[in-house]
Amino acid sequence: MLRFVKGAEGFRRWSIRNVCCRVPLIYRGSQDLVSSESGAELRASDAALIDRIMQRDETALEALYDRYAGMLSSVLNRILRDTQAAEEILQDIFYQLWRRAPEFDASRGSLGGWLMVIARNRAISRLRHHNPAAGEELLENTVSLPFNLESAIAQKQLLGKVKGALEVLSKEQRATVELAYFEGLTHREIAERTGDPLGTVKTRLRTALETLKRVLH
Amino acid sequence: MTNGHPTREEDFDLYALGALEGDEEQAIETHVASCPDCSRRLAEARGRIAMLALIAPPVAPSTNVKARLMKQVRDTAPSAPPSRAAREPERAGGFFGQWWTAVLVPVGIALAITAIVLWTQNRRLDQQLAALRVDMEQQQQQLELARQVADLITARDTMVVPLAPQPGMPRGTAHVMYNQKMGMLMYEGELEPAPSNKSYQLWLVPAQGNPISAGVFSPGNNKTNHFMMKLPEGVTPKAFAVTLEPAGGRPQPTGPKVLVGAAS
Repeated sequence: MLRFVKGAEGFRRWSIRNVCCRVPLIYRGSQDLVSSESGAELRASDAALIDRIMQRDETALEALYDRYAGMLSSVLNRILRDTQAAEEILQDIFYQLWRRAPEFDASRGSLGGWLMVIARNRAISRLRHHNPAAGEELLENTVSLPFNLESAIAQKQLLGKVKGALEVLSKEQRATVELAYFEGLTHREIAERTGDPLGTVKTRLRTALETLKRVLH
Repeated sequence: MTNGHPTREEDFDLYALGALEGDEEQAIETHVASCPDCSRRLAEARGRIAMLALIAPPVAPSTNVKARLMKQVRDTAPSAPPSRAAREPERAGGFFGQWWTAVLVPVGIALAITAIVLWTQNRRLDQQLAALRVDMEQQQQQLELARQVADLITARDTMVVPLAPQPGMPRGTAHVMYNQKMGMLMYEGELEPAPSNKSYQLWLVPAQGNPISAGVFSPGNNKTNHFMMKLPEGVTPKAFAVTLEPAGGRPQPTGPKVLVGAAS
C-alpha cells in the first residue's frame, strides 16, 4: 500500500509497506519507520530468490520482477519502439524464469546481466522477425557482470559509470555503438546504413569498445 | 586468431555485440565452444556489452504486465482438486398431487434460485469492481512513484553520498541518493538494530540552516532499511548523517552521530 505519513518534522514520507514489491521499475521498496519482514525479502539476493522460485514461491518472482523489470522494459522499448511488443517480451522473459528457474545456474553469471542479454536478444530477434524457441536462451549465454545490480543505488552508480564511459567516445563512435547495440546491426549493415566505408566502421567500433572496456574497469 | 584464440580482446566484445558475421563470427563461435578460457572471456565481454542497456531512456512497464504475468503463473500452476459440484435441487414431484403444480413449483423454485444467483453475482461483481477501482488507483500511485524513482536515479544531477560509520558507534554502512532540484532522497543501508527505546534518524545537513529530518527508522533482524523521502526542493546539502535518537525521532538532532557522509 502506498502511504503518505508524517515524518517527525512534518514532511511527507513515502512509504510502501508490505506491497512494495508491487512497485515496478528498479526501485525495490522501502522499510520505513518500523522494520518489517518484507524488507528481508526485498534485500534477498538474486540467488535466494531463484531458490524460492524453484519452490514455487510467487512472491520471489514478484520481487525479481520489481528488481529488474524497469531496466528490461527500458531496453526493450528502446530497441523495439513498440510498447505492446516490449511488454509481451518482458512478461515472457519472467514467465520463462518462473518455468525454468531450476535450469538457471547462478555460478554461470549475474542474473541481472543475464536478463539484460536475453531481453536484448529477444528484442533484436523480434525486430528482425526471427523467433527463437521460447526460453532457449535461458540455458545459454553465461554473463559475467563485474557489478552488483541488486541494489537501486548500485544501478545508479553503474549507470553513471556507463554514461561517463560513453561521454569519452566521439559522436561517431557513440552512434556506431548504439546502432550495433540497440538495432543489432553488424559491421556491414552499419556501413550500409551510414554510408561510411566498412573499414572505417570496423575501426570505429573496435576503438569504441576498447575505450569502453578501459573506462569501465 | 592465434592457435584458434582470438588475438584481440575486443573480438569477444564484437562477437557479444553481434557486429561480426560470416567467417569471423563462425570462427569465434566454434573456438569458444571448446576453449574454457575463451568462454570465460566471452562471458566477461557479454557483461560489458550488457551494461549498455543502462543508457536506454527509462520506461516503466505498465502495471498490467505484472498482473498478467502473475495470472499466467497461477493459471498454469497445478490445479487444485475440483470443488464439489453444487448439489442438484430436489425434484418437486407429486407434492400437491396436481399436474400444474408439478410444472409451476419447479419453475418457481428455478426462478427463485436464478434470482438469488443473479443477485449474488451482481453483488460480487459490484465488490470486484470496487476492488478493481481501488487496485487501479493504487497501481496508478505506484506507477507515479516508480516514475519519480526512475527520474531520481537517471537524473544527471542526482548525487550518491556514501555514509561512513563513526568510531564507537553501532557498525553499519549506507548510501544516500539525493536530488536537490527534485527534493527527492533515497536511503539504503545496513545498521545494527538500535538499542531499545531508540531509533535511528537520517538528517540532511544543509549548507545553511538547521538539519532537516529525512526519516526515522529501526532496522530489524536483517539490519537493512531503504526508503524514500520527499524533502523541500532546492536545499543544498553540506552533509548527510544518521544519529541515534529517542524512539520516534526528534525535530532536531540530539544524539550521537552513527553514520556521516559529506555531500561534495
